[in-house]
Amino acid sequence: MLKVLTVCPYCGCGCGLYLHVEEGRIIGVSPSRNHPVNRGTLCIKGWNCYEFIQHPDRLRTPLIRKNGTLKEATWEEALEYTARRLQEIISLYGNDSIGVLGSAKCTNEENYLIMKFTRAVLGTNNIDHCARLCHSSTVGGLAAAFGSGAMTNSISEIRDARVIFVIGSNTTEQHPMIAMHMLEAVDKGATLIVADPRKTKIAEFASIHLRHRSGTDVALLMGIMNVILGERLVDREFVMRRTENLEIFENRLREFTPDRVEKLTGVPASDIRKVARVYAAEKRSMLFYAMGITQHITGVDNVKALANLVMLTGHIGLPMSGLNPLRGQNNVQGACDMGVLPNVYTGYQKVTDPKARQKFERAWRRRLPEKPGLTVVEMTEAILDGKLKAMYIMGENPLLSDPDLNQVVKAFEKLQFLIVQDIFPNETIEFADVVFPAASFAEKNGTFTNTERRVQLIRKAIPPPGDAKADWQIITELSTAMGYPMQYRDTYEIMEEIALLTPSYGGILHYRLEEGYGLQWPCPDRKHPGTPYLHRKKFARGLGTFLTVDFKLPEEMPDDNYPLILTTGRTYFHYHTGTMCRRTTVLEREEPEPFVEINPEDAEALEIRDRSRVKISSRRGSITLMAIVTERVPKGIVFVPFHFREAAANILTSAALDPEVKIPEYKVSAVKIEPEETEKILKTEIKAFRTR
Amino acid sequence: MSSEWILDKNHLSYWLRQLRKEADLIGPLRKPGGDIVFESIERIHEIFLDLPALIPGPKEFLFPQYEKLFNKRDSKVEELSIKRKRVVFGVRSCDVSAVRLLDRFFLDRFEDPFYSNRRANTLLISIVCNNPEPTCFCAGIGTGPYLREDYDIQLTDLGERYLVQAASKQGIRAIKAYSFIFSKPTRTDYDDQFEVQLSAMARFQKRISLERVRSMIITGKVRDTFWEKVATRCFECGGCVYECPLCTCFTVIDRVFGDEIERARIWDACLFKGFTRLAGGVLPNERMVMRTKRWYYHKLVHYPEVIGSFGCVGCGRCTIVCPAKIDMATVAIKIKALADNEEKIIEQKE
Repeated sequence: MLKVLTVCPYCGCGCGLYLHVEEGRIIGVSPSRNHPVNRGTLCIKGWNCYEFIQHPDRLRTPLIRKNGTLKEATWEEALEYTARRLQEIISLYGNDSIGVLGSAKCTNEENYLIMKFTRAVLGTNNIDHCARLCHSSTVGGLAAAFGSGAMTNSISEIRDARVIFVIGSNTTEQHPMIAMHMLEAVDKGATLIVADPRKTKIAEFASIHLRHRSGTDVALLMGIMNVILGERLVDREFVMRRTENLEIFENRLREFTPDRVEKLTGVPASDIRKVARVYAAEKRSMLFYAMGITQHITGVDNVKALANLVMLTGHIGLPMSGLNPLRGQNNVQGACDMGVLPNVYTGYQKVTDPKARQKFERAWRRRLPEKPGLTVVEMTEAILDGKLKAMYIMGENPLLSDPDLNQVVKAFEKLQFLIVQDIFPNETIEFADVVFPAASFAEKNGTFTNTERRVQLIRKAIPPPGDAKADWQIITELSTAMGYPMQYRDTYEIMEEIALLTPSYGGILHYRLEEGYGLQWPCPDRKHPGTPYLHRKKFARGLGTFLTVDFKLPEEMPDDNYPLILTTGRTYFHYHTGTMCRRTTVLEREEPEPFVEINPEDAEALEIRDRSRVKISSRRGSITLMAIVTERVPKGIVFVPFHFREAAANILTSAALDPEVKIPEYKVSAVKIEPEETEKILKTEIKAFRTR
Repeated sequence: MSSEWILDKNHLSYWLRQLRKEADLIGPLRKPGGDIVFESIERIHEIFLDLPALIPGPKEFLFPQYEKLFNKRDSKVEELSIKRKRVVFGVRSCDVSAVRLLDRFFLDRFEDPFYSNRRANTLLISIVCNNPEPTCFCAGIGTGPYLREDYDIQLTDLGERYLVQAASKQGIRAIKAYSFIFSKPTRTDYDDQFEVQLSAMARFQKRISLERVRSMIITGKVRDTFWEKVATRCFECGGCVYECPLCTCFTVIDRVFGDEIERARIWDACLFKGFTRLAGGVLPNERMVMRTKRWYYHKLVHYPEVIGSFGCVGCGRCTIVCPAKIDMATVAIKIKALADNEEKIIEQKE
């Protein structure tokens, strides 16, 4: 019996856990007691994260599509074939005809390599990953306001906060171990404020719950700031010494009086005043947000508004005082840090900056492209336009996670060549020409960076199944087959290269991570102990800047034909497209089928019973699923989780994008709901029976 | 029947080394970062004995989270019961008490062959606790900090030597085979042992009488509003059930690997709504409060009725793993506060 300390592969909390190994098999999981995030606890996904690893569905051999079906192949065949096809496509259509998706599920080392492979070997900046769909607004918005876009505080600070303001995050269900720290703070007397249209679990612990209309976050935040300004709660000293451009922003702010905001958001003006006073009055105030803020066409504006709020009150740059985006995936922070984005290298060094580019050109000994590449949703458009011919997808499942799926399907049918690298067959593999079987988190070494910027080691507990290999090995071998040899003994050598090229990761090396529970970046040198909270004394960009934002309605508002607002999200028991959790007995049993949450008033008007089948349609398509009649959603809003392929919520969502960072508006689409045909028939029969 | 010896601490590693020749030796090890976990011992001097209650407890060696039951290939069935010998060194008295109750669940009347095989091949060496954690409350239940009977081998730390007690056949054999390193205890040794027992009892921070809690519940004084409050906080992680040394819920799964079928059992928890899912998707216990209540009733009401002792040994593991702080100790203390309050009200009336 061996116990291997590693990091949970689900959400961004980055909980430490042990995998129990007996006779070469993983037979259990237990939490780490001293880990600063989970401190001896786990959520249901963590407790069950061992089960999918040895699932029979795991991909074991490389596959090549021949005459329409995927056939088993050797690694040599698959790599040689892939290298040849990629080179053909490059010579026929140019470097920018290939797009690559990295993965927030893979390690930093692997993401670094795929980024290097894309830029140095394929010669394109067309690389992105699912952070585009979750926190690109954060990266864009906070980089503009502060100069760096990440959680400013540490998770262990939360329990000593006095005010916790959570907006657009269902923390208890999506970041359970962070919610644990919040609950502890509340037990110690902290005030919890939650702003969310849905009555989420975290809202049950809140002193004030603001249920604003979906898509009116900017208005709500402007209203709060208006009160802060009007009631002289502004931290003038902080604003004067550490920020700029408040004057410009102030004028816009004065337009958002609480009464006007009440009309826009549906939140009573008195509540807006109360929140403003409570939040501004306490110094140890922490602000948290997640997808409810970012997944809008105004995603960047929402984030900028939040940044303005913390600067106005001076609630940043101290422990227990800051602005905290909660990152979704176990390594989405790391994948962004590694430059798996179309416009930056590692550590957010811009590809358009000639100095940065030269540094990487010299290190990699290749000419690198200058123009920023395509983002996730733009790639789909580029395929439809005939500009993108091939894709390489590592550990992602766009055919369930991207908005407006019917369009995505059309696009993928048009692709000439698709490489999918994954641990399980997923929806995207159905379109693949080559499939590379990859190793899961328990079968390789590397690092994950959690939401509080903590870079932690994951350790190999068992060998991968069959012929599967770690993603980093596959990339090095493919690169070598394409005439650019990559040689690393293990992932620690890759980490050393990352540290060399990335200032914020400069002192992060595997040997330093072995004792203890990782290091928080920025960590510029080998003696640096890591940084628990950001923007101390000065912002990353020097002075923080107030960016003027204005209220804008969501792209698609409800109308007579599509009278309801659809908002999408996750449930506690499942994770994203379900490749792992839906292969876990207990998790699948808890939530085995897709559902739509609908308010009792709406349900009654539409004659929908609890647990009956309904058809929900938008301008882009329709799905059929079970209705859950509940007060959790307010009138006029329905909620559908996006995990289920049987009724993929993203068939309904629109691909309307934030103009700056191109994040799709998953949180607002107009839909209509009707009872399913059979339900209608049943109803008429019952009526007939009654009248008989 | 109990036999007693003295073992010089200098001879402990020799003894364990001999035991390891016939079995897999498992003991507490300190990992980087400071966690202490049960693992196979490679270097005996690394055993870390100044230990808190370990997560997970020794339940995992008798009833692991994932246990293969059998394989089926070409209509041939191969049973996969693990018969490897194991010595688990350094378990706590509460853990041994829990195993005693597990034995009754898995072995009385219907014998579970998988548990039975693991149990027969596992020797538990427990150590009298002289450093209970703030989460511990075994003293009030009588499941620790030391045991009077029904253990394999129990060690009491007397400074530079251990008082070794063996109660099971297996335990006595493990000592008699190396009798030349053990000596007879003297009067002073027993005096020292008594002192350790007294001081161990004095070190508990929590005094919890589950009997009092039980009588509050069965007399209907704990209302549903109380359970509602408890249930609202629940994270539905299942941690309390997974880590409870007495919880035995499992579910059975079949996995098809090509032409081979594997049947396994995995830990399950009554706290999940799907645990009682019925055909047609009906969830009789959809409301969390029903499940929370059921867990507490099982531990505090049904267990005493059926088995004659509480379904809790006071190990405090649920206190450690519960993210919401609605573990047995916290809830028991809250219920006790209700009782105290009630008494005060009665006093005032009088």
